[in-house]
Amino acid sequence: MKKVLLVVERDVKRFLRYRFLLIMRALWFIVQIALFGLIASRMVVIENYFQYYAAGVSIIILYSTAMFVSYDIYEEAEHGVIDYLLSLPLSRRELVLGRSIASGIRSFMYVGPLMAIVLFLIGVTNPLNLAIALFSLFIFSFGVSGFAITLAVAIKSEDRFDILMGVLDALIVRISTTLYPRTFIQQANTFYGLISNFNPLTFAADLFRWGAGIEKYLTFSNPLIPIMAIIIFSSFFALIGIVVYEKRLEGGGWQ
Amino acid sequence: MAPIIQTINLTKKFGDFVAVDHLNLSIEEGEIFGLLGPNGAGKTTTLMMITTVIKPTEGTAIVGGHDVRSEPDKARNLIGIAFQEPKLLWVDKVIDVLNWHAKICGLSKSERKVRVKWALEEIDLWDARNKTIHSLSGGMRKRVEVAKLLIQRPKIAIIDEPTAQIDVVGKHRIWNMIRALRDEGSTIILATNELNEADVLSDRIAIMHRGKLLVCDTPKNLKDSIPGGDIVEVKLEKELPEKTLRAVKELDEVVNLVKVKPNHIRFHLNRSETVTPKIMEIFWRNNAPVLSIRISEPSLDDVFLHYTGLTIEEAERLTPRAKKP
Ligand SMILES: Nc1ncnc2c1ncn2[C@@H]1O[C@H](COP(=O)(O)OP(=O)(O)OP(=O)(O)O)[C@@H](O)[C@H]1O
Ligand SMILES: [Mg+2]
Repeated sequence: MKKVLLVVERDVKRFLRYRFLLIMRALWFIVQIALFGLIASRMVVIENYFQYYAAGVSIIILYSTAMFVSYDIYEEAEHGVIDYLLSLPLSRRELVLGRSIASGIRSFMYVGPLMAIVLFLIGVTNPLNLAIALFSLFIFSFGVSGFAITLAVAIKSEDRFDILMGVLDALIVRISTTLYPRTFIQQANTFYGLISNFNPLTFAADLFRWGAGIEKYLTFSNPLIPIMAIIIFSSFFALIGIVVYEKRLEGGGWQ
Repeated sequence: MAPIIQTINLTKKFGDFVAVDHLNLSIEEGEIFGLLGPNGAGKTTTLMMITTVIKPTEGTAIVGGHDVRSEPDKARNLIGIAFQEPKLLWVDKVIDVLNWHAKICGLSKSERKVRVKWALEEIDLWDARNKTIHSLSGGMRKRVEVAKLLIQRPKIAIIDEPTAQIDVVGKHRIWNMIRALRDEGSTIILATNELNEADVLSDRIAIMHRGKLLVCDTPKNLKDSIPGGDIVEVKLEKELPEKTLRAVKELDEVVNLVKVKPNHIRFHLNRSETVTPKIMEIFWRNNAPVLSIRISEPSLDDVFLHYTGLTIEEAERLTPRAKKP
């Protein structure tokens, strides 16, 4: 366990060095809410869309920050640091676990203050729900990190990853309830509606809204469903991450 | 005692290309074991398999009693490696890299402080400790790689080309550090394509070529294994009578004899240190005063030449490379 924490320490410190990126992303977030959210909410029929949207954008930024660990891996591949990590007195399990936890923590550290602003705007009514929701969201960002690690080592090419991420971002975000309630997705296309039911972003967005007290358009009336789903999703990718990491990297280098 | 590392038909293929080919080595605890071979011989690939960074295609290695295939975590716990190409993030500071390395290798806080400082001074990077890797020279980066091992003091220390890119003064320092590491109790595996380095440091040397092991022995035995490898040149006051020449030729150890000039003879022989006195005695008895003697031992280059028919330089030119995608 101590070694896992050391891996966490390394990755969290490293994250703080991406200052420019962090500032730019925060700006993106503020622009989304202060411009798009404000304007779009006038146009959209659903009640209090501004709050609904702000909560959704928080989940989007949480997701993309957790995905960021892939770029760390590409940078390490470029400098051969992956071999160094693989040579250390450390099991693959400790390594991947440490990295996923670190990535979860850093996403949270970073998105936390932004979420606080959102929560302030929304006005929280039930702190216990919020605590549960936030905890689940931490598990969510941990799972997304495992997903990102899996994808990065499975693809092994930063260019391809970038392109795939473009497509994936669009897909994963659009077929989820981050930006609009499920009824509209369902109305547009029943197949989309079905997929959105299994999308981790849907679960995360739902939980955050539930915790923040925006209960009008929840996909699942029982919060246990998204909580369970997120736990399953995260354990699955943490596990897959470890297996793929071993299989794909120990064959002999990155190419 | 069982060897601390044993490779059993260790093989690595990259596609169709065989980088390491059924390698059988056994390395004893406490020795400095040199892995010598031209570029592309498969040294680094071998070391990467022993450190569990890459998996063998066939065969395996037993490290401290643990099979790298079935118990990689246990094997890895015994090993530290200084890579051929420094594997460092460019934005990191030297001190941060080494501190984290010390932590992950399990050093306590007090041990870490002492050892990191000591290692940085030892490799002459104390003043540069707050620089980023990016701003270091190639040789300095390489020294950071070596410092990791000095801090870790693993049971098995693997060093891939320790002095490539390092200046002459630095070279000797690193050689001394390697010896010190061994004296502290580490077993050392050293990969190099520098004959001299392998010669001065290693207790035993394995010569690799095209992924295969050619021969493995002490530097002395390797040199002695070349028939007529020692060369003794003798200059005399006057021409040597045929009779004396014949008497010398009859010595078992004398493999060949060339008359460069009437009074200048070149002998190719084995074990020059014991035969030369005998030759001198024959000359003395036959009243042939000697002006000068020069003895030269074979180099490892000669050993390599003997086993492959190629000099190291030729081998490096001719070794096939795997196609990189
Ligand atoms: N990941 C890889 N993919 C494909 N081929 C590889 C890979 N790694 C090494 N090779 C090939 O395997 C062969 C052996 O390489 P290796 O690095 O083990 O040689 P070496 O003895 O360490 O050489 P050098 O003295 O140059 O360091 C080379 O022909 C190299 O091109
Ligand atoms: Mg090499």
